[in-house]
Amino acid sequence: MIRRAKHNLVFWTFLAPVLIAFVLVIVVPFFMGVYYSVTDWSSSAANQGGLNYVGLVNYDKSLADPKFMTSFLVTTVYTVANMIAVNVVAFSLALLVSSAIKGRNVYRAGFFIPNLIGGLVLGFVWQFIFNKAVPYIGPLIGLPGLAESQNFLLNITAFGNSFAIGGITSLVIVGTWQSAGYIMMIYLAAIQSVPVELMEAAQIDGASPARRLWKITVPMVAQAFTVTTFLTLINSFKQYDVNVSLTQGGPSVMINDQAVAGTQLLAKNIYDTAFTGANNMAQGQARSVIFFLILVVISIAQVSIGKRREVEL
Amino acid sequence: MKKLAFFLVALSLGLGAFGQAKLTLLQNKVEIDKQMKAYAAAWGKANNVDMTIITSGGDNGDMGGMLKADYAAGELPDIFVIDGPDAYAQWGNVILDQSNEKWVAQTSVPYKSPEGKVVGFPVAVEGWGMAYNADILAKAGVDPLKLTNLAAYKAAFAKIDAMKDKLGLKSVVSMAASTGMGWVTAHHNVNSYLSNGLKFGDKSIANLALAGKVDAKRLADYADWVELLFNYADKAVLTNGTYDDQVGAFMTGKAAFLHQGNWVDPNYASAKATFKAAYAPHGSSSAVTDGVFVNPPAWYVINKDSKNLAAAKKYLNDMVFTEAGNKYMVVEAGMIPAFKNIKLQPTGPLSRSIQDWAAKGKIYSWNQYLLPEAFRNDTLAPLYNQWALGQIDKKKFIELFTAAVATLKK
Repeated sequence: MIRRAKHNLVFWTFLAPVLIAFVLVIVVPFFMGVYYSVTDWSSSAANQGGLNYVGLVNYDKSLADPKFMTSFLVTTVYTVANMIAVNVVAFSLALLVSSAIKGRNVYRAGFFIPNLIGGLVLGFVWQFIFNKAVPYIGPLIGLPGLAESQNFLLNITAFGNSFAIGGITSLVIVGTWQSAGYIMMIYLAAIQSVPVELMEAAQIDGASPARRLWKITVPMVAQAFTVTTFLTLINSFKQYDVNVSLTQGGPSVMINDQAVAGTQLLAKNIYDTAFTGANNMAQGQARSVIFFLILVVISIAQVSIGKRREVEL
Repeated sequence: MKKLAFFLVALSLGLGAFGQAKLTLLQNKVEIDKQMKAYAAAWGKANNVDMTIITSGGDNGDMGGMLKADYAAGELPDIFVIDGPDAYAQWGNVILDQSNEKWVAQTSVPYKSPEGKVVGFPVAVEGWGMAYNADILAKAGVDPLKLTNLAAYKAAFAKIDAMKDKLGLKSVVSMAASTGMGWVTAHHNVNSYLSNGLKFGDKSIANLALAGKVDAKRLADYADWVELLFNYADKAVLTNGTYDDQVGAFMTGKAAFLHQGNWVDPNYASAKATFKAAYAPHGSSSAVTDGVFVNPPAWYVINKDSKNLAAAKKYLNDMVFTEAGNKYMVVEAGMIPAFKNIKLQPTGPLSRSIQDWAAKGKIYSWNQYLLPEAFRNDTLAPLYNQWALGQIDKKKFIELFTAAVATLKK
């Protein structure tokens, strides 16, 4: 009995630093945030008299704002496209660097490096590539269509001028370039842990490489798929820095006869609502609560679906 | 992390200067950060004050967010800047009344609270019109003094456009209207509609907008002006260019006109430009409008809960009444002083031009700040961008502009 109490004390003592930090920087601010979202919080000196409870007004206004809804739609499209692009590219790269190709260690390091560069820097670098380098090189290699930079990626719109397809595509290109290397590492580890005997047995039985990939490698790395789709989904949904530096929300599109920023992802929309322009911290907070709820629902759904497909050896 | 770094820096400075009065100043003019820090350090040494200057601004800086974070942490700076009614609404409660300060008598453009108290010290005077390259205009045979209305600009632009190759130009005007450069269109350009040709301080058109209405005749003229600017601009710079692209085109002689204010003087110097440059009025009206838009871009305000009010007041006064302070503002930082007693002149050609216009009293107000910032950034900026991209035409622009203004009615 005494021994058990002593054990418990030791456990809790070791757990305490992490637990306290978690409560202080995650749990408490989270609930404070939920509370602020139902008040008229401004975080400036405007309401010195303290906070007033305003009910769900901030949620109401957010959901009625066409800019917020556009932002939602754009973020969803971006997330789906980015998730697919990153995973396809990363898996292909992982297959490449796990094969017997020459200099594969150099490739592994090389593909990973973009992930070490900050999103803001990446955005500015790629802005230069899309706006300056491509229009310059395009005509030189016989693609005069690329010369008119105003028609290139960052500025194309589609679907009757209601969707900034060029801007989103450029975000996906940069997003993929940024995170494919990282996801590749996860796939690589999974592919390397596939038992060699399985492969050899299949080979002796006469299975083609494509069949071996589809029937052995893919099911064996299903755990990795759960992790990677989760990571790419969450990270795409939360994309902010590349958005700010690459497109700055442009080009504009027309929704219901209202001009709105065409590539403003949710995180940027929340930031802009809270800090710049609208100066509405409480509404920004309400939007981030909505953002959080959606992320939770999507990721739980995604993980439970992914789990079903995993194979235990 | 940033906060921690600040904390450590502050701590190390604090330990070194124990017992001194401390003064923190938060400002948003990135281009004078170095000069200001040098001046503040010298001033601090002379007055035994430990000065900390924090700069947050420019394309990617965000002073408003920084202020909120500092306020939430109970560390609002002793001196900070506000740029208009939106900011005053946020911070008015903690701003000190400076009506009795010595500098007040020397300026005509302090920031006044709605009750008429003087609360803000003008950082400088800034202005814009259409900046022109006088050498190119002379070669093309265009007299800049006659550029005072829409018809004159139309003729001049067409004339220069026809001689583009001969003059080595890429476009007549260097104009930017991408979403990221929305401040050029939705903050500065829209002011032509709000104040061009009106008496300085006349807020009638802005007030009309706040009541949800537009002056249709004025708006039609203004739309012609925007169309003219967009038509004669380099499309690549217009739709996708950065600030450096836009200003660079003018500084390297690739454009005859530039739609920017006198804050581009440092770019003139760093491009080692030698051409003569000055400002002509905006041609947003068929009637003659003979003046440029001049105002302080921001005002220093003092936090009334500051522990070092005396030092904060002295810091501001010393900029106006000491030789070192004058020299810092005008010579080092290259700003146009907003105070009558300062006789120094900035060296940049565009700042000089603004000062000349101001001396002649031919100035119009900045009324764009009367419209809510969210309206300018989120509603107007994408609208101009749509037009620049060619997605809507002038008629549609006028229609949507009118509809957008109607939403301003409370």
